[in-house]
Amino acid sequence: MPPVEIWVDGLTQSCIFMTMAFGMVLVFSILGILNWAHGQLFMLGAFVAFYAITAAAIPFPVGILLGGLLVAALGIVIKKFVIDRIGNELYIGVATLALIFTLEGAATMIFGSDDRGLAAVLPGVYTMAGSTISYQKLAVIAFTLVVMAAMYFVLNRTKVGLAIRAVAQEPEAASLSGISTQRLSLIVMGIGCALAGMAGAIMSPIYPINPFIGRAPMIMALLAIVIGGLGSLRGAIAGGLILGFLHSVIAYYISYLSEVVLFILVILILLVKPQGLFGESAK
Amino acid sequence: MRNIFNRFVRSYHRSAMPGYVAGVLIIIVFFVPLFTNSVVLLSSLILTGIWAIAAMGFTLVLRTGQFSLGQSAFMALGGYASAIFTAQLDLPFWPSFFLSGLVAGTIAFLIGLVVLRVGGIYFSIITLSIGEIVRILALQWEPVTRGSRGIITSAPPPITLYGHQLVNFDAGPVPYFYFMLCLVAVTGLVFRGIGGSRLGRTFAAIALNPVLAEHQGMHLMKYRVIAFTVAGIFTGYAGALYAHFLSVMTPLVFGLWQSILILITSIVGGIGALVAGPILGSILIHNLGEYLSRLNTPGLQSFLFGSVMVVMILALPQGAGLIDVWKIFWRWVWREKKSELDTVSGEAEY
Repeated sequence: MPPVEIWVDGLTQSCIFMTMAFGMVLVFSILGILNWAHGQLFMLGAFVAFYAITAAAIPFPVGILLGGLLVAALGIVIKKFVIDRIGNELYIGVATLALIFTLEGAATMIFGSDDRGLAAVLPGVYTMAGSTISYQKLAVIAFTLVVMAAMYFVLNRTKVGLAIRAVAQEPEAASLSGISTQRLSLIVMGIGCALAGMAGAIMSPIYPINPFIGRAPMIMALLAIVIGGLGSLRGAIAGGLILGFLHSVIAYYISYLSEVVLFILVILILLVKPQGLFGESAK
Repeated sequence: MRNIFNRFVRSYHRSAMPGYVAGVLIIIVFFVPLFTNSVVLLSSLILTGIWAIAAMGFTLVLRTGQFSLGQSAFMALGGYASAIFTAQLDLPFWPSFFLSGLVAGTIAFLIGLVVLRVGGIYFSIITLSIGEIVRILALQWEPVTRGSRGIITSAPPPITLYGHQLVNFDAGPVPYFYFMLCLVAVTGLVFRGIGGSRLGRTFAAIALNPVLAEHQGMHLMKYRVIAFTVAGIFTGYAGALYAHFLSVMTPLVFGLWQSILILITSIVGGIGALVAGPILGSILIHNLGEYLSRLNTPGLQSFLFGSVMVVMILALPQGAGLIDVWKIFWRWVWREKKSELDTVSGEAEY
């Protein structure tokens, strides 16, 4: 049985994968496209938080919000000027794949490719029954819970959330009821990208920040989506949790090969149950 | 979806340039080593050819309507197969080179059998996963792949005829250049043959409308697996040449980002032409990349690649690439009447 630290580590990773996967699925369920550049938005969110905290001395929670807002704005710009002008889903995929290069290159040119750290935000460790957990990891878990709770509130208790769920279920009937699908898809793109940016900002104290940190979370979020079922929001959360724990627990036993195990697991899931563990039906 | 694939069907009737011009160009390329001894230029041409082959493989898979994000995995497989056969198992060069493509092809076949059952976006995700698996295995399976230190590969043995040394691969990049030309020529001929044959038309039909194609009696799985396997074989050969040309095989040069680069090469070149498109795209993308990486501005290369790609998708009709721009140019040169870009909008629906 792995020690407590491994489980906490798994939980922090789950938090990141979960937030990323949730944003991707949200965008997918409304727009019908996978945003392959989601990981790069994560990276930009981390950079925004870094500069907000170090250069402007903004408190960490506000830095997270700021990261979310700025990345959401970028996401809306991408939606408006790139995605909306391409009619074909295949080519939207290609364009977002190309945006990975654009965003990473731009970040490298602006910020440089060195590692930065934000270790001074919440120093100290919490000791409990012989195991130590850093406050930063606790903060990651807490802030993710706050973000997910906010998402739950928005989706279930507000009119926008109702509209989002309606469009995800039945786009034509929703637009017959007076919902502007066009405007709603902009909002959803904004929310999805904000989630990616906030995930990046939330994890900025515990990982080094450089222009290439978006790659691994994006791939992992994809796997989480596949585990949970493409298009299922609940599945994205469950997939993120499963993946985060499996990743750190398997890595405890066989180190680097744990990713191979995860990839093979996901391939098996896809072949046996292509709609995922929690997906209701193929959308 | 339907409209882009119209291009495949239509592109059989038009060629990018008359045969004699293509012939003259090929002859010019053939004599390039006579004009220059520059190692830099020749190396960059060799790498251009290698990536062009990989992009051709990607285009062939795309022709069946599937989007593979793991093409660089087959380059890695071919390269590692050849490197392991020659360096670790002490097999002679030519048999192991021949086997390397078959190894990549066999693995592509097995993967294809399993994976192509789920099409569309799932196929992209699975091929992406397979690419990552291959990269991590190459990095971590130390006893066989020597991890990140890489396998030192030997040059092909000199070719001798009646005691005279005809070709010596240790002498410089020129023999590799002709090796690359042969490989590109073989790949090009095979792919051209596929594109113009019944098989190629079947691919296009499957991409255009899978349901209709299936009802016409075409076995979707069979043709998708054929395309994926053929692409795997030739991509494997490209990887093997790459491994021996660079004389070291490390896992660091293959990964998702190389797969996306192959995708960009193929689409920038234009997917309407199976052979000429990838070659044009590779000439642009690879040499531009080589030049940009010498500018000492980190990030500029990927920024420009991404931006060129996005602008291209936004500005040209979908499915069009450099090859279509070239066609317009060619018709303009010869003052042909049909000088408008064939937009697919006026196409009859079927």
